[in-house]
Amino acid sequence: MTTTTPPQHPSADDPRILLDDQIGAFEAVPPYPPRTEREAEFYSLGDGEMFLNMGPQHPSTHGVLRVVLKIDGERVVDLDPVLGYLHRGVEKLCETSDFHHIISQLDPLEYISSLFMEWAPVMAFEQLLDVQVPRRAEYIRVLTGELNRVASHALFQGWMALDLGGLTPILYSFIERDEIVEMLAAITGQRMLFNYFRIGGVNGDLNHEFMSRLGDWMSRASVQNQANTDLLNDNEIFVRRMRGIGRLDRETALRMGTTGPNIRAAGVPFDIRRAHPYSVYPELEFDIPTRGHDGGGDSLDRYLLRIDEVKQSLRIIDQCLHNMPDGPVMAGLPRLLRPRPGRAWAAVEAPRGLFGTYVISDGTDQPFRMKIHDPSFVNLQLVGLLMKGNLIADTMAVMASLDPVMGGIDK
Amino acid sequence: MEMTPGGPDEIRDPGVGPAGGTGTDGEAGQRPSALVTTAPRDIAQPIVVPNTLWASTRPEAYGGGLPTEHTHLRELEGSPLLIRDDARWGALDVIPTKADLVLDLIRMNSLWPLLSGLACCAIEMMSAATSRNDMDRWGMFPFRASPRQADVLIVAGTLTTKMAGPLVRLWEQMPEPKWCVAMGDCTCSGGRYKRSYATIEGIDRVMPVDVYVPGCPPRPEGLIYGMMKLGQLVKERRGQWPGRTVGPTVPEDV
Repeated sequence: MTTTTPPQHPSADDPRILLDDQIGAFEAVPPYPPRTEREAEFYSLGDGEMFLNMGPQHPSTHGVLRVVLKIDGERVVDLDPVLGYLHRGVEKLCETSDFHHIISQLDPLEYISSLFMEWAPVMAFEQLLDVQVPRRAEYIRVLTGELNRVASHALFQGWMALDLGGLTPILYSFIERDEIVEMLAAITGQRMLFNYFRIGGVNGDLNHEFMSRLGDWMSRASVQNQANTDLLNDNEIFVRRMRGIGRLDRETALRMGTTGPNIRAAGVPFDIRRAHPYSVYPELEFDIPTRGHDGGGDSLDRYLLRIDEVKQSLRIIDQCLHNMPDGPVMAGLPRLLRPRPGRAWAAVEAPRGLFGTYVISDGTDQPFRMKIHDPSFVNLQLVGLLMKGNLIADTMAVMASLDPVMGGIDK
Repeated sequence: MEMTPGGPDEIRDPGVGPAGGTGTDGEAGQRPSALVTTAPRDIAQPIVVPNTLWASTRPEAYGGGLPTEHTHLRELEGSPLLIRDDARWGALDVIPTKADLVLDLIRMNSLWPLLSGLACCAIEMMSAATSRNDMDRWGMFPFRASPRQADVLIVAGTLTTKMAGPLVRLWEQMPEPKWCVAMGDCTCSGGRYKRSYATIEGIDRVMPVDVYVPGCPPRPEGLIYGMMKLGQLVKERRGQWPGRTVGPTVPEDV
């Protein structure tokens, strides 16, 4: 007596079916044997440990960062950031672009603070060409740059809350950011990748629409900023979640080359605008806010420091508007630029820290080599130090407080 | 099915029957249709609580004493159309349709994008979703973090060779029907990084694309316009369906 078994349809859940290639999660362990001691140490699991892959598509990694976490229960034992998912080869493109063209290539590095990405190469090229920038152009650069810093920090504020699970603050952040980029679009013609600074000045003078939008915004900027801040700072859940995690002490911050708000939140008053002054910053009055206690700063300090910076930026914008001189906004320059052979380094204080470019010119209209020093890349080194021992849920709070932007990290 | 015949001069209540015996289909008018629900004529009187809390500065505005400035609604006041609650379906009681059309309308009006930003355009994508340009008005808001819950993949930003594999995997994880919007010059054609060694010149080399939104980056209005165009494609079934091939879709007559 034979019984016919019904034909079974193969199911992916069936453990007897072996899939040829791994569908689903990424392989946390690389398929090759470890190349360095660090890789061998990281990719060997201890007792009770496991890997957890995060990214590259993850709403909280601020782009396409991939992080491999080695966890023991709920604690993060170690982690390994995997970069390169947004590597666009900018440095190589710069070697085959002429000096005017490079400005547009560097724009999308830190795409929420594009003006600073233009500022550093433009300053380096001006050193090579011995160009004197008109004072009005310098004031316009400072004015628009600080506006961009406010927009960037406003976005940080929203993302910080978003990564901790609060949806409301990002709506207010984007209101601020959209108003600022719209007024910048009135003079630059673009909302994000402005391409506004030129070698020897800026692309256009201030116009009526920009000034009217700016005046409209300035009349309530500090009030709106305070309101957005109160929304988060009075929130006990937010404050208690941020306090005490991701503690970065002074010595570590100095040793790891941290710059920007992250090192100032650890108590080190290092700001390129004051330490190595450029443009017209020596003529302007502003403070370098620092935070931190007991020789270090935590995530809450880094968050609060950016709010302090916005207040200082508003001060600078106000002074720029009062001291703005008349005159041309572009120096007279030939269209084809052939700087002298030589090297130049220029750095600006971007919203995330020191952004610098090192240019080697060989006398042609294209640079021989262009090195881009990005603050996000340097600051990202800290995640390995700050996240160890934290809970998995706190990794986002730490990483968001460092405020990396993947365009700058991967270049 | 019972339909309302005639033009605006022959307005009558279809749920009750032909008004004044002028209807052409007498049989359908005599029996009440089971499919058609009739709104009750006797509307319960509202409970009026005397206001002792505040006084208006313009009392005549609340007592109905204020003369209306729009008199063109007067003609409708006596008609049975205003008595019934047909704000939802209009004058028709039955909508002749196909299930496919309804499904397409549902799909068109709830396009859920995947929250996957690659680069700069992601900021403008988020800007399109937040307060100022509120994509939620067209049902496009809930950015899903999981590809298994998403309908539309908005590829926002430069696609590099390293990210191409994960992005294709994301696309394959999305359930059908699914659509793809290429946002920005980099995803349309390579854009300003076309010459780079590390980028893919247009995502249509690795996945099918329904709508291209050029710009570097496009304004949020541009993205919303592209999504509305995608809605048209979805409604007219001109979007790319499972038999689609990788590559740009070029119409016959171009």
